Formats: sequence, C-alpha cells, structure tokens
Amino acid sequence: MRGTTRKVAVAALSAVALLAAGCGSGEEGETDTPAAEAKTGGEITVRGCNPENPLIPQNTTETCGGTVIDAVFSKLVHYEPETAAPKNDIAESIETEDNQTFTVKLKQGYKFHDGTEVKAKNFVDAWNYGAYAPNAQSSGYFMEPIEGFADLQCAGTANPEDPCEGFTPKAKEMTGLKVVDDHTFTIKTSEKVSNLPVRLGYSAFSPLPDVFFADPEAFGDKPIGSGPFKLDSWTKEQAIVLSKFADYSGEFGAKLDKINYKIYQDADAAYNDVLANNLDATDEIPTSALIDDKYKTDLPDRNAQKEEGVIQTVTFAPVNVDPLYADPKIRQAISMAIDRETIIKQIFNGTRVPATGWVSPVVDGYKADQCGEFCKFDPAKAKALLQEAGGFKGDKITLAYNADAAHKDWTEATCNSIKQALGVECAAVGVVDFATLRQQVGDRKQKGMFRTGWQMDYPSIENFLAPIYKTGASSNDGDYSNPEFDALLTEAAAQQDPAAANAKYQEAEALLAADMPSIPLWYGKATVGWSDKVTGVKITAFGTIDYSSLALK
Amino acid sequence: MGTYVIRRLLQMIPVILGATFLIFTMVFALPGDPLAGKCGERPCPPAYAAAFREKYNLNDPLPIQYGKYVGNLAQGDFGETTNGIKVIDQLKARYPITAQLALMALAFEAIIGITVGVFTGIRRGGFLDNLVLISTLVVISIPVFVVGGLSQYFLGVRLGLFPVTVTSANPTFYQLMLPAMVLGSISLAYISRLTRTSLVENLRSDYVRTATAKGLRRRRAVGLHALRNSLIPVVTFIGFDFGFLLGGAIVTEAIFNIPGVGGYLFRSIRARDGASVVGTVTVLVIVFLFVNLLVDLLYGLLDPRISHD
Repeated sequence: MRGTTRKVAVAALSAVALLAAGCGSGEEGETDTPAAEAKTGGEITVRGCNPENPLIPQNTTETCGGTVIDAVFSKLVHYEPETAAPKNDIAESIETEDNQTFTVKLKQGYKFHDGTEVKAKNFVDAWNYGAYAPNAQSSGYFMEPIEGFADLQCAGTANPEDPCEGFTPKAKEMTGLKVVDDHTFTIKTSEKVSNLPVRLGYSAFSPLPDVFFADPEAFGDKPIGSGPFKLDSWTKEQAIVLSKFADYSGEFGAKLDKINYKIYQDADAAYNDVLANNLDATDEIPTSALIDDKYKTDLPDRNAQKEEGVIQTVTFAPVNVDPLYADPKIRQAISMAIDRETIIKQIFNGTRVPATGWVSPVVDGYKADQCGEFCKFDPAKAKALLQEAGGFKGDKITLAYNADAAHKDWTEATCNSIKQALGVECAAVGVVDFATLRQQVGDRKQKGMFRTGWQMDYPSIENFLAPIYKTGASSNDGDYSNPEFDALLTEAAAQQDPAAANAKYQEAEALLAADMPSIPLWYGKATVGWSDKVTGVKITAFGTIDYSSLALK
Repeated sequence: MGTYVIRRLLQMIPVILGATFLIFTMVFALPGDPLAGKCGERPCPPAYAAAFREKYNLNDPLPIQYGKYVGNLAQGDFGETTNGIKVIDQLKARYPITAQLALMALAFEAIIGITVGVFTGIRRGGFLDNLVLISTLVVISIPVFVVGGLSQYFLGVRLGLFPVTVTSANPTFYQLMLPAMVLGSISLAYISRLTRTSLVENLRSDYVRTATAKGLRRRRAVGLHALRNSLIPVVTFIGFDFGFLLGGAIVTEAIFNIPGVGGYLFRSIRARDGASVVGTVTVLVIVFLFVNLLVDLLYGLLDPRISHD
C-alpha cells in the first residue's frame, strides 16, 4: 500500500471560501523547497515533446502541449502544485449565492505578452470560441455547464461522421456569459455546479488576447498568453524556448529567466542527458531505469514520484449487452481476484498505486478505501463470493483492450490473476486500436469487460464521478444508473460549502462499491528526474513539472 | 553510356510512382488511429475529430486519397503531418543531418573496413586475420542498440569523451562522431570480411599470377590489379548501405536523439501519419535509385570488362 497514505490537504481548505476571500495567502504558498537555497534568474534546459496541436489553450488536452500552455497562459485560478488546491490567480474573487450565477472579478494590471490588458471580454470571447462547435476545439466540452452551450453545437444530419457539415449552430455566444465591465463578468450555469471555481484553473478557461481572433492559425505557432513565461520561439520538432515575462503581475511568477524545451524522441536519450548533467529535468523516466528503482541510485535526491489524476479501471458491459456479469457479487468477486500489488510490481515497475476507490488521491475530496474489501486481493473470499452468486455462467471471462498501446501485458496478467483465484477461464482480447474499441463500446457492442481509463479534467472528486457514473453521462460506458447516486450528485452540486459538497460526493462514491459498475485497478504515478543544477522541482496533480516553482541552485 | 543513363533515369519514374502507391496503401492499411493521443488519454470530441478527418482527407476512399496526395506532390506540396507541420520543412531540416551522419558512417566503415580487409586478405591465416575474424563476428552478433547504448553510457555519460546526445539542428562533426561510429560498426565488419574474401579469391586468379610472373612488384599487383576487381562487391555493398543508413538509422538516431529522418519515419509510421511516411520514403527511394545508378557506373571504372554501351 506504499504511496496511498498521502492525504490531500483539503479538509480545511475550502475552495470557494478561499477564493472569495481573495489572495490573502500569498507567501504561505512557498513552502518546501529543499535546503539548497534557490536563486532567481538563470536558464535551464528540460525535456520536451512534440505538441500534438497548435498551442491554443482551448485546443490542447494532451500533456506535450499542455506543459507549455500552462507556463504561457495564466488562468483565473492556479492549482497549487503540491495539493492541487485552487488559488486565485487572475481572479480577484469568484462569488456565488446559489451555485448557478457566478460573479467573477478580475485583478487589475494583468497583461498579455503583447502589452494589452487582460479584461473580462478576453475570457468571454475565448470561452465562446472554444465552445463554438465549428471551431472544432478539443476542449470545447469544458464549457458544457455554461448556459447556452447547446446552442453553439452542431446537429446536422447530412453526414453522420460530421454533425457540423451543412449546419450552422443557432448562436455564436453562450447566453450564460455576460461582461459587466472591464474587470467583471458573470457566468450562469444551466444546472447548479458547486465546484465551478475549481474547474476554472484548467487551460481551456484561459483568456485569449484580441490578436488571437484576427489570425488563430498564426497564434497557434506563437501563442500570446498572460502567464509567467512568454514563448520566444518554437522550432517544430526540435525546441521550444520560453522566457520570463517581465510584466507578469501575479503571485505565481517565474523564478527562471529562460526555459529551453529540447524535444526528445526517446525517454532513454533524455534520461542519459540528465545523468550527464546536460539536461536539467525530464518528466519521463525510461522503463530501463525504472526496473529495480535504478533511477533512485542514478539520481540520488534528484528524483521524485507522485500520483497524478489518472485512474485505470475495467468496466463491465451494460447488463442488456452482456447479462453474464449482471450480479454485483460476480463483479466484486472478479475485483477481489485481481492481485493489484503484484501486477504493479511485475509489469509497471512500481509506477502505479493500487486503487482503493474510484477517485484519484490527488484531487479535492478524495477519500481512501471507498472500495473497501472489494479492491483487496483475497482469492478465498473471491471464490466464496462467486459461489454465493451461483458461479460464472459463461464459458470464460473476457477483458478487451486496445492493442495499439501497451496494454497487453497487464490485461493478460490481470486475467491470469482472475483465472487462478476464481478457477474460471479468463482471456484478454486485443481490439485492433483505441478508436475501434471506443466505437464498439460506444455502440454497446462490446461484451464482457473492457479497459477504461480516466484522466481528470480538473482536480475535483466530482470529475471522477459525474462524467462516468451519472445516468446518461457522456463517458458512462457501462450504462450505470442508480437514482440514489444521481440524487446525491445533484445534492452535492447544490451545496454552498465545498466540504459539504465533497462529503455528498463521497457518499455517492461509496454506493459504487455495492454495484461495482467498474473495477478500480490503479492510479497513475509520474516519475521525474533532474540535474544537480536545479531545485524546487514539484510535480503537479496532472503529472507534469511545475515550471514556475523551478529554480537554479 | 549517355543512352544508358537516360534509360535508367526514365525507368525511375514508374518505380517512384509504384513505390509511393505501395507505401501509401500500406500506411492506409495499418491498424491504429491517427487521432490517438491527440487529445491525451481520452477520445477526442466529435467536432474536433470530424474537422481533423476532413482536413487530412481521412474520409475519402484510398484511390481518392492517393490521387489527392500525388496531385499535391506533383506541385511540390508534400502535405502536412497530423500535428500541423509542413512535411517539406521537416525533410529539408532532417535529410542533411541524416546524410551527414550516413556519409560519416560510410567513410568510417569504408576506410577502416577496406584497409583491414586488405591486410587480412594479404596475410591470410595470420594472427591479424584471426583477430579480425573473431572481432567482426562479435560486432555482427551484437545488435546496434546494445553497441549504441553501451558506448553512449561509457564513452558519453561516464567518461565524458563524447556528447551524450546530439539534439541540435546543426550538429558538429564532433557531435556526430560517436553515432557515426556506432552506425558504421556493423557494416564495417561486413566490409572488411567482404574485401578480404574477394581479395583472397582474386589473388589466386590467373591475371594476378601473370602480373607477378611478368615481374610486377607485389604491391602493384595487389594494389592495382587484384584490389580494383575485388572492390566490385564492396562498392555494391557500400552503395546499398548508404541508402540503408539513410532510412535505417532509426535506432541510432533514437539513442543519440539526432533529429534526422530515421526517428521521424518511425514515429510517423506509428502515428499513421501518411503524408510524412510517403514523403520521407519517396525521397529515400529517389536517393536509392541514384546511388544504385552511380554504383553501376562505377563498375565500368573498376573493371574495364564491364561496359554500359
């Protein structure tokens, strides 16, 4: 159970209260830089990878572009790297009476890298741009809670592959966003949302300067944000250079003058450069160095490992698709038959943490052991439970995975574990690729069990529950439906006090253990290493290095 | 010889067209989703996916996709990679680096390989011959990633004699030295063995005996007569190897993080990035064809009995 004891310090940190109180806790944030004193200024070189999309915050949800976007764009809210707790950045305050109408006041003096001031309309325009379906932005769905979002979507029938073909959405602007004055705007959501301020720290909610709308394409090559770093150059496939933005007025400013991202094709090459002190940080440790924790002896005191907001689960096909797994007892028995610890050790070299619930430990509202005994390996109990349920009626249990990524090893190991514990044949079935697997799951044609994963959008317990297990939710692959669960989510969303909201979400999560819509397997963990020149390396909840707290020794 | 060259050049056109079509079809048939990873660990939203498919013509059937591609190619447009980078820019930036690396590896393996081959060929069965036989056997049997990884770790990380990685758009001679030696090591073994065997055979032939009998000094008989003929299989190998080194430096380029063609090709295949793969391979095919033409012309120079008229 190594690693699961870490508690997210949220009990006392009530998100909205803190936000509403403004930026009272400026200096307390800087806590735990190790003994070596950090100085400001200087230049470092870190491992980068190729951004998959133009560098537009509304169009980036993968980490290669995400780390750069995070450094270049500041948002209303900044996530503390250690705890993932939100703190006001551009926002002066985010206030609400009813969890449905939010008034956002901006701090004065924030500037974009082109010198223009960050105003309320920069947020509203950016969010509308992201939500407007014909713009085809990958993070458009983040705006879904905002009133009027549906009117910006496509519903064309000319082409089943592309709803936007021959169709123009009703509106270009969401009715829920209103600019009050230069430094104030209001957000109205279509339903009550208690954790909206927590969501606003994700890059999709970044403001965009006016110059973006003139030429989005050119902007994607050389983005202009309002963050602590500005982008100097992006040599495709080779390097990205960021330098400190002198006019950044927020409290999460850069310590370094310059960051060079060198793009590596191979984790081993980057790692060897860190060993030779040619590279100052890498956020990817190669498998060869993970075996037997070799990186810890290679880089003594220069490595860190931390959970990130990713969970791997195995979901059961909906009951009407595959009735063999309908009985929760069968599901619980399968879960108890999986030896998570051994698989993590043998297959993942310890880079995962056994899951004890459906919510990642990095988020606001996490509670340990929600899955209880059903997520603990116990072959005897598992077998007894299966017998109680009358045994498995089919000829074998199946676990489908997408064969275009490294899932074969662990799915087979999981199946072996199930087979040995329950005495029922179990087969890992490769589906040609991710798209095909998702298609089959989406069309409700995939039988048996299949691999599902969830990478959080924002660090909140709600993000691990509502989009996946609420009745009819977009990622509810197993068609799980529990009125009690849904009711608890609605109640939680209406809570004024974030702690009370989290308590309701936790109650809802506990219900999952009885029904087992999916089996939690393990949480993701990020491992990073750095050279002996740098200090203050912190891993964010998203598994990336927090570059604004990085400094030279 | 002029007509021969023209005939060969004309033959290249159907070969290039055929090769691009084959590669295009194979990339098309590859399993995998070009959208995988574009949106992190989750499926992309439908509007995004639709726009992406539209942009890269992924909804069209194969012949139309290929037609559009060749149409653009004829106008010098190599297309865009799936992350929106112009393929032509990448080829321009990457081919010179890989070519430099390949030429350095080639020079390394040719100079040392032929020298070693000549010495072992002349003193067949001697100590040197046996030493080279065993050491080349060792080199041939070790895969290049082991040679590369070990030399990077010991010569680069531990001893600091060479840079650990290259990672530069304009690599220096010194930066590319270690990768070139790693890349050339296996071919070096082949070249020395090839030179040796071929030389040994030619030394036994009648014309060498005649040359020696008419009083030519041994150095001249070996150097001018025997070696020139013995180089024919070696030149064939080197010509083939140059093309191979250009496209096949995947492992070496990955180990030393050289921004060349090999790694690019590998990644593009994995990402099912048709435009990059076909563009890179088309250039490779052209290089291959020209090098082979050059090799064929060299035959005539090396051995007067071969004529292209």
